[in-house]
Amino acid sequence: MRRTTAFRAMVGIAAIALAVSACSADSPNNGDTITIGASLPLTGEFSQGGLDTQHGYETWVEMTNEAGGLLGKQVKVIVRDDATTQDTAVSNYNNLISKDKVNLVLGSQSSLLNIPSSAVAEKNKMLFVCPSCGSPDMYNRGFKYIFFSQQTVATDQAKVFAEWIANLPADQRPKTAAYPTLDDPFAGPVVEGAEKILSAAGIKTVYKDQYPATTKNFDPIVNAMRDAGAEIVVQGAQFEDGVNMIRSMNRAGYKPSIVYQSSSPTYGQQYLEGVGEQNAEGVFFSSSYSSLAKTNQNAEFVKKFEEKFGGLPPEDAADGFAAGQVLAAAVTAVGSIDDQAKLADWLRNNTVQTILGPLSWNADGSPKGNFLVGQWQGGVSQVVLPPDVATTDKIVGWQGGPI
Amino acid sequence: MTSFIQTLILGLLVGALYALMASGLTLIFGVMRVINLAHGAFAVLAAFLTFTLWKHLGLDPILSIPIVMAVMFAVGWLVYVAVIRHVRGSHVSMTVLATFGIALMLEGIMGFIWGNTSTAVRVSYTDASIALGPLYIPQVMLIAAGIAMLILGGLYLLLNHTWAGRAIRAASANEAGALLVGVSVATIAALTFAIGVSTLGAGGAMLSTIYPFLPGSHYQWIARLLAIVVLGGLGSLPGAILGALVIGVGEIAATSYLGAAWPVAVPFLVIIVVLITRPQGILGARLREDAVA
Repeated sequence: MRRTTAFRAMVGIAAIALAVSACSADSPNNGDTITIGASLPLTGEFSQGGLDTQHGYETWVEMTNEAGGLLGKQVKVIVRDDATTQDTAVSNYNNLISKDKVNLVLGSQSSLLNIPSSAVAEKNKMLFVCPSCGSPDMYNRGFKYIFFSQQTVATDQAKVFAEWIANLPADQRPKTAAYPTLDDPFAGPVVEGAEKILSAAGIKTVYKDQYPATTKNFDPIVNAMRDAGAEIVVQGAQFEDGVNMIRSMNRAGYKPSIVYQSSSPTYGQQYLEGVGEQNAEGVFFSSSYSSLAKTNQNAEFVKKFEEKFGGLPPEDAADGFAAGQVLAAAVTAVGSIDDQAKLADWLRNNTVQTILGPLSWNADGSPKGNFLVGQWQGGVSQVVLPPDVATTDKIVGWQGGPI
Repeated sequence: MTSFIQTLILGLLVGALYALMASGLTLIFGVMRVINLAHGAFAVLAAFLTFTLWKHLGLDPILSIPIVMAVMFAVGWLVYVAVIRHVRGSHVSMTVLATFGIALMLEGIMGFIWGNTSTAVRVSYTDASIALGPLYIPQVMLIAAGIAMLILGGLYLLLNHTWAGRAIRAASANEAGALLVGVSVATIAALTFAIGVSTLGAGGAMLSTIYPFLPGSHYQWIARLLAIVVLGGLGSLPGAILGALVIGVGEIAATSYLGAAWPVAVPFLVIIVVLITRPQGILGARLREDAVA
């Protein structure tokens, strides 16, 4: 009797497994559709950015299909969750390419995940347009298929901001600076780039340290910066660490006149809720995107995004959308996706108009442009630098104080 | 000297929060010999419950603690009945696997309900401090430490001055002996698990006011909490409190005097030293393997 029950159970399981595999056998690649695969951190530490990027991809797919698709075919995107782990991201891209037989791939979120993921695409000779590949380490490996669809790599992301500080009149320019940064292939180089410029301008480094991603309590770091008398804080932050830093600075009563954070303030509403509007006031950040920018498809993107997800698009969503625009431009110009080396060659030699503005690349796939400098003012993310694209001419100190 | 005192204040306050969160973990191990890897996930669940009560009902996180603790007690009991009791007494690898499975399931459920985006509770005392000359005491940490003392004091009274507490201690010391004197060890185990998860409810509630959190945050917390109970001695409540204070002060001191990268390493270095010199932990009891249930 027990053997019969066990046998029935096994048959049942086998039937379910077959049914499931039959469902998944619904080929993503059926001739009338161009299927694009991506692995994203939809759970885990980087899920905030991963979900935003997914929203950007989905918005781009929908708008592309409404406009007739790519090469006359509808576009479909398959997104796999890598739980913010490098091994899973690599496994996902291997599966997307070898099992799901996707036609094209788009990058993951964060340099941490894209460093190994881009190697999978390179090995398979597939174009890897990446919305979040700011680490300079991405571009010293001799890869030919990787392209970063933002304006510049991490080392130069704070360049415009740092040069602005360096050129302030001597009586306004801070004399001492602190550089706390997350141990991350993206955040670290942002701070290093800023420090290089500020040091050259005579601004003395009085605190510099790297903290691991597990750091929750920033009180001792803030104490050290305060005791060192840093007048400006330049933090290489992801998200939570940026929020925790601001909270700790408030608790310690430490009020430097200038605060810059690399990524955290670009998370829009989440950042505002985390630190509070009053504490977000005057925080500088580098941004690839402004919802107010008059760039290619931006107005349509903002409208569609608001319809689909509510609220203004965060930076990572815009970066995801721009990655899609870059991919589409190459595919449309080449007219085929069979030889992706041709797509890469085309991108190396052309400029693509995106919602982030015009993008063009060096031979190694790193971009040639400059980031915008944003600042939170009155609960709104404004572009303050460079002056020719600024959405406001007002620049304030942290918490609304003078610079 | 001022800097040292400030470091000590911050370390002890953080340690008090850790103690509150770790107390349930050590209690559960003490009675059931179950290493509950879902403990961090329960903490994050409590933080999300607090967030919901604050966001939708406007309830201050401190006032929401009794509600969150009650809900977490029920959740703990249910999880025990549904999963833990089936693996209790099995090889330690089974309980580790089962509780890790619960953690993953909770992460998925939390992601489904609240989304995988970072969440934070901001109240008037989140950023406020009390100034004492050149020193400052973060209000939110002080409140968390006060609540930790209250809950841990209550736990002490429960364990030492009630029949249920005596039964829990009896089951912890000698399960067979407890059975012989009429203690329903199965019920006591369920009660212990529920109490352990419930006290964590208070820790999770305060956690929500101090740090942002998301469903995946539990990995960071379980690593820290395990380090604390191993340091203090698995199964020892006073040991967990002492371990939490040592780790709390150690983390803050390491950042202040060695560098921001050291807080991850220092607790584990301390644990390695303690385990070499005193394998049962600071206050753990040395047990014969064949005497363990």
